Amino acid sequence: MFGWTGTILRVDLTQRRVTREATDPQHAKMYIGARGLGTKFMYDEVDPRVDPLSPGNKLLFAPGPFSGTHVPSAGRYDLITKGPLTGAIAASNCGGTFGAELKQAGYDMLIVEGRAEKPVYVWIKDDQVKIRDAGHIWGQSVPDTTRMIQAETDEDARLACIGPAGEKMVLFACVMNEMHRAAGRSGVGAVMGSKNLKAIAVVGTGRVKVADGEAFASAVLKAQQRIQAHPIGGEALKAYGTNVLMNVINEVGGLPTRNHRDAHFPNADKVGGEMLSAKYLLRPKACTSCSISCGRFTRVTNPKYAGEGEGPEYETSWALGPECGIDDLDAITKANYLCNELGIDTISMGVTIACAMDMYQAGILTLEDTDGLPLNFGNAEAMVEMVRKTGLRQGFGDKLALGSYRLAEGCGHPEYSMSVKKQEPAAYDPRAIQGIGLEYATSNRGACHVRGYTIASEVLGNPTKIDQHITQGKAELAITFQNLTAALDSSGACLFATFGIGQDELAEMLSALTGVPYSTEEFLKVGERIWNLERLWNLKAGFTAKDDTLPQRLLQEPIQTGPSRGKVNRLDQMLPEYYKLRGWDGDGIPGQEKLQELSLV
Amino acid sequence: MKIRYFARIRELTGENEVKWDKPADTLGMLMHDLADHYGQGFRRRVLADDGLSSTIIVLVNGYDARHLGGTDAPLRPDDTVSIFPPIGGG
Repeated sequence: MFGWTGTILRVDLTQRRVTREATDPQHAKMYIGARGLGTKFMYDEVDPRVDPLSPGNKLLFAPGPFSGTHVPSAGRYDLITKGPLTGAIAASNCGGTFGAELKQAGYDMLIVEGRAEKPVYVWIKDDQVKIRDAGHIWGQSVPDTTRMIQAETDEDARLACIGPAGEKMVLFACVMNEMHRAAGRSGVGAVMGSKNLKAIAVVGTGRVKVADGEAFASAVLKAQQRIQAHPIGGEALKAYGTNVLMNVINEVGGLPTRNHRDAHFPNADKVGGEMLSAKYLLRPKACTSCSISCGRFTRVTNPKYAGEGEGPEYETSWALGPECGIDDLDAITKANYLCNELGIDTISMGVTIACAMDMYQAGILTLEDTDGLPLNFGNAEAMVEMVRKTGLRQGFGDKLALGSYRLAEGCGHPEYSMSVKKQEPAAYDPRAIQGIGLEYATSNRGACHVRGYTIASEVLGNPTKIDQHITQGKAELAITFQNLTAALDSSGACLFATFGIGQDELAEMLSALTGVPYSTEEFLKVGERIWNLERLWNLKAGFTAKDDTLPQRLLQEPIQTGPSRGKVNRLDQMLPEYYKLRGWDGDGIPGQEKLQELSLV
Repeated sequence: MKIRYFARIRELTGENEVKWDKPADTLGMLMHDLADHYGQGFRRRVLADDGLSSTIIVLVNGYDARHLGGTDAPLRPDDTVSIFPPIGGG
């Protein structure tokens, strides 16, 4: 095979057994790799009703065909499993170098199954695979884990590991690689912890075989030039990082504030990308094969919150900032460092603390519940402390570790949770930006902006501008972004590559690399196939159309201030059209005709 | 009128926000006045031959000018205009 290695590695932790199997060429063609191929394996091998933290759940580390090649901005891999936060299928996407290294070690996918009797890590050096004791590493932070395992294996080993939060099964724990990169969403780190698996360390020295070297080199060069020539891919993201979005989203009245009580934060500029670049940025940082360099390596000098590390990204700065009513970027950045060290998803962490603050201000929670810390909106010191407590599941942190839905439901007030399918949304208010509300409601892994980033059109005007406040055309927009993203994720490319290239260039590179002729239409069809397969899996897991909704606050309580004052999300005007355009019935179930068209029956 | 600048545009103007007193009936008039004030670097970034640069984002009271008529968007003295270069993220 070209593009694919042709080998899948399977590690059974219960039996301490390592096996290899051939990658099915037909499956590879139909699902590409990463998120798509992983979803196919989950569908074939894992009962959707499995307890996500039981040995019956599986954890799939999957790079894509582009991983480990010279394709620009292709440093991503996916972690596919049943997410413990949502109960839905989770494909958690991550950058850095781990995915490329796993591919160069010779694997299209690593499947981890069962549960180790005691803590272990897996050490992969090309075709040598060992399961090693990790008892002495259990309890260590992500940076210390990384350093200790590199000292025991290879100083150049790339690690995907969990911190204390994953070990203690915080329901939104991450898997971290290169210390600061997170497979962040849906609690994939808790699944790893449930398996007593502390880390995967890998060194790969192989090369990915290319079907048509000349055509591939030409297509790669063209894609690279387009990304570098693009004003966002070539310049803006390196200069200001993703946090440059803070001000524009606030200026259009779409920045969720104080647990979505409002959608405008007067002090947004104090926590945005301009401020981060001016006062905190040491250098931009890039994933493997990427020139965009959106990552931020930063330093906080304020002794109270001093430290160095990566971040914050936009979603992080928002969740730990305006969503909690906080405008202290020192504290936000420190909380981000803590999340990275403990292995916690920053989005769910911030929104869960915001939910607790909202309930504290309403008198539902008291000082007795919160370990004596006043959790009023804007209390930056308490926010930072709650991150630490959550990662270690200490005191009130043990309840925060369940996420906002279970926390609020446990208090008898689930309406305080800003979540869809129990997962917290990102930094775009669906009352101000209609299409992202539909996208959150229909996202297969719960509320998530990167399943279909309609913000690109609705706010940024990329590739074309559509009015954020209207509902017309938003069903088609969400579907287009969802399908494209599913295919793109499966290739190993980064979503930010689309700030320069699109489905045409992706299909061209994939064809030259693999030797499988993907037209643009076929590439997008793969995305649609993956989306529908994820939907089928979720339906079998017990989800129904009733779960395709938004928190009542976003449907009924108008925004209070700012340019979008008075707006609510009008999901009921978009969802029926979405189902119809998807070829699903009124209950959101894919029809036989659609499934046949996608070769899913 | 209040004019707010962000990211690279802020670098070009050297200011975060200004109170702008020169009357302008439309966004096009305002942008040309601003270009005259801030010079060629700003002009190249925000204006094209036939109007606003297709890559910048200009908001009038939080509404994207592309939905208000572009350079023909009417302005009032108490409006807030926000100007962004091409940006992205997520």
